[in-house]
Amino acid sequence: MDSTDRRITRRHLLAGAGAAALPVLLAGCGFVPEQPASKKAGAGTLTFTTWGTDAELQGFRSAIASFQKANPGSKVTLNAVPYEQMFTNIDAQIQAGNPPDVFRVPYYTFGSYAGAGQLLDLSKALPSGFENRFTPQAWAAVQNERKPYGVPHHTDTSVILYNTAALADAGITSVPTKLEDAWTWEEFEAIAKRLRAAQPAEKYPFAYNWQGNGVTRWLSWLFEADGRFLQSDLVSPAIDSAAGRAAVEFTKSFFPQNLVPQNNSVKSATYAADTWYSQTAAMVFSGAFAIPDATANLQFEWGATFSPTRKRAGGDFGGNALVATTAAKDKADLVVAFFDHVTTASQMRDFCATASLLPTRRDLVENGIRFDVRPELAPVFVGQASTVKAVDSGQVASPSMAGIITVLKDQLDRAFIGGQSVDDTISGLSDGIAAATKQ
Amino acid sequence: MLAGYGFVAPNFALLGLFVFVPLAGAVVISLQRTNGFGGGVFAGLDNYARLFADPLFWRSAGNTVLFTAIITPLSMGLGLLVALLLDSVLPARALFRSAIIVPMAVSGVATALAGRLIFDENSGVLDLALRGLGLPSVSWQSNGVASFASVVAVTVWWRVGFNMIVYLAGLQGIGVALKEAALLDGATAGQRLRFITVPLLGPTSFFLLIVNVIFSFSLFDIVFVMTGGGPADATSVLVTYAYDQGFVSRDQGYAAAIGVVLLLATLVFTAVQWRGNRGRDVTE
Repeated sequence: MDSTDRRITRRHLLAGAGAAALPVLLAGCGFVPEQPASKKAGAGTLTFTTWGTDAELQGFRSAIASFQKANPGSKVTLNAVPYEQMFTNIDAQIQAGNPPDVFRVPYYTFGSYAGAGQLLDLSKALPSGFENRFTPQAWAAVQNERKPYGVPHHTDTSVILYNTAALADAGITSVPTKLEDAWTWEEFEAIAKRLRAAQPAEKYPFAYNWQGNGVTRWLSWLFEADGRFLQSDLVSPAIDSAAGRAAVEFTKSFFPQNLVPQNNSVKSATYAADTWYSQTAAMVFSGAFAIPDATANLQFEWGATFSPTRKRAGGDFGGNALVATTAAKDKADLVVAFFDHVTTASQMRDFCATASLLPTRRDLVENGIRFDVRPELAPVFVGQASTVKAVDSGQVASPSMAGIITVLKDQLDRAFIGGQSVDDTISGLSDGIAAATKQ
Repeated sequence: MLAGYGFVAPNFALLGLFVFVPLAGAVVISLQRTNGFGGGVFAGLDNYARLFADPLFWRSAGNTVLFTAIITPLSMGLGLLVALLLDSVLPARALFRSAIIVPMAVSGVATALAGRLIFDENSGVLDLALRGLGLPSVSWQSNGVASFASVVAVTVWWRVGFNMIVYLAGLQGIGVALKEAALLDGATAGQRLRFITVPLLGPTSFFLLIVNVIFSFSLFDIVFVMTGGGPADATSVLVTYAYDQGFVSRDQGYAAAIGVVLLLATLVFTAVQWRGNRGRDVTE
């Protein structure tokens, strides 16, 4: 779902090591006109805490240098920390009354901070029309009670990466190359069964990337079935529906049919990407962030195609926002100037191209971007990201998402490998979500 | 009198600062409804009431007790066995001692990561070896019982060294004269072990029992890294459950309540053992 996963493997650390410095920023860029930048920030210092790969951190450093050059007297102090420490540190700093001014946060964690009143309400500080530069789904992901508490810096979403030879061995020589031609659930299941029949028992058709907090990626199946997990009030559970049952039933069926390894469940310590890298699985659902890593390390030919569809196409709205804490309330102009700068078309395009991430700006989505590595794959990811609806990403921004993630993990793990029935799972999800949103 | 207080004051101050104050803080938080930020709202015993109606709490409590009941005797028994071997005349004794003690020096997380490499059911060393021998592989990560067994195996491997070294110290405190007298009286090796060595190791065993139970009650890193509490909660223990509640769901009041219950259980067990063993120390 997001670049947080790249912290996990050694390959990810190696992959970004050779990333070149970002090129000089281009003004105008030939896309739709930039929104007017906010007024000059003037002097002041912002502290900015983030995690990131080498490529991402290089991107942030470049953006900061550019911002400081454009705003003489202003300074942004970058504090790069390992992802594992990121949010325990942020939480402890908030509790101690000493948080950073700005930090980076996954969309599924954003709501926990915004809902608890820890983030700066930007609704009055942002220039008029600022939201028009972003896609509706991106803007929805940084809203809390209809007010913006951050800016959507980039996104990512999962598509299917496949081992070309493994598919060919099963007689599968072509995959969908257009979004409208994406496999349906039934077609995808048929493909998986062909792979199952053609492969030895210790190999598997695919692996799904729902481990850890990636459990929110399971929601893609729900969205593809045109379902939702929260009602429009973002409080009442909505998972007890035909779509919810279809999503649970279909994903649960992967395990008894051995379409995925049995250790591919949501609480497994083995990540889906590692299963695919080791060629234990022929396909894997993965975000674009894996491209540099896979390109640098994999010894087999591989490609990408769209996620399957049911009633509609869908996807997870991964990636990260930039938010300011209430500690920066006296520096709102400086915060907004910084957010404005890092979300200009040229800055966002360069950051996303280098780090293989997807833009949140309308113009970049419409015109496409070109990844530095495997540029031909960018349209697959950008196309898949376009299937995310604002109504989907808005639910993930729920202030109760932390509790909902725990409920999803517990209930889906029991369904997938604990033998829990679809009805009991739906009931457990519904009750758990209701309890999580009440707290 | 004052000198006595003076001597205990530094220890008492450190204990107070780093144990009793946080402990009191945890009790206070356990009585609050929290969202991870700012002060909580006093909720009386609500969190404790929730505990009793929470099936996952009971599942985790049951798993914790089962882990403790299996790991404690296994660690102590194997530790005693190895200590007896290494206390005897054995070639390369120092080398064996070092090999058994080394896991103690390895962090729990590193141990668990090694365990993952061994027990991964797709590419782990153990299943590859089983398949290589023509035997069926075991679902170490997706079968509850096998997963539980894998955590027990790694934890015991990690703990045996500590038990061994404490038992070894205990064995070396037993006078040779007593064993020689028994030998002259015609006692077999088994009789000497049963009637002399084991009783004289009573205080050592009591110490190890308490320490092992406390270690097992607070088992976290091995489970967290190897299984994350899965599959389907089969390895969820109280501390991993408290972590999930406190740091994933940010429900720190509830997590603190789990911690307080765990503390009380440990205190009760220790008190019962202490009362039961008082006056039973055997001396030469």
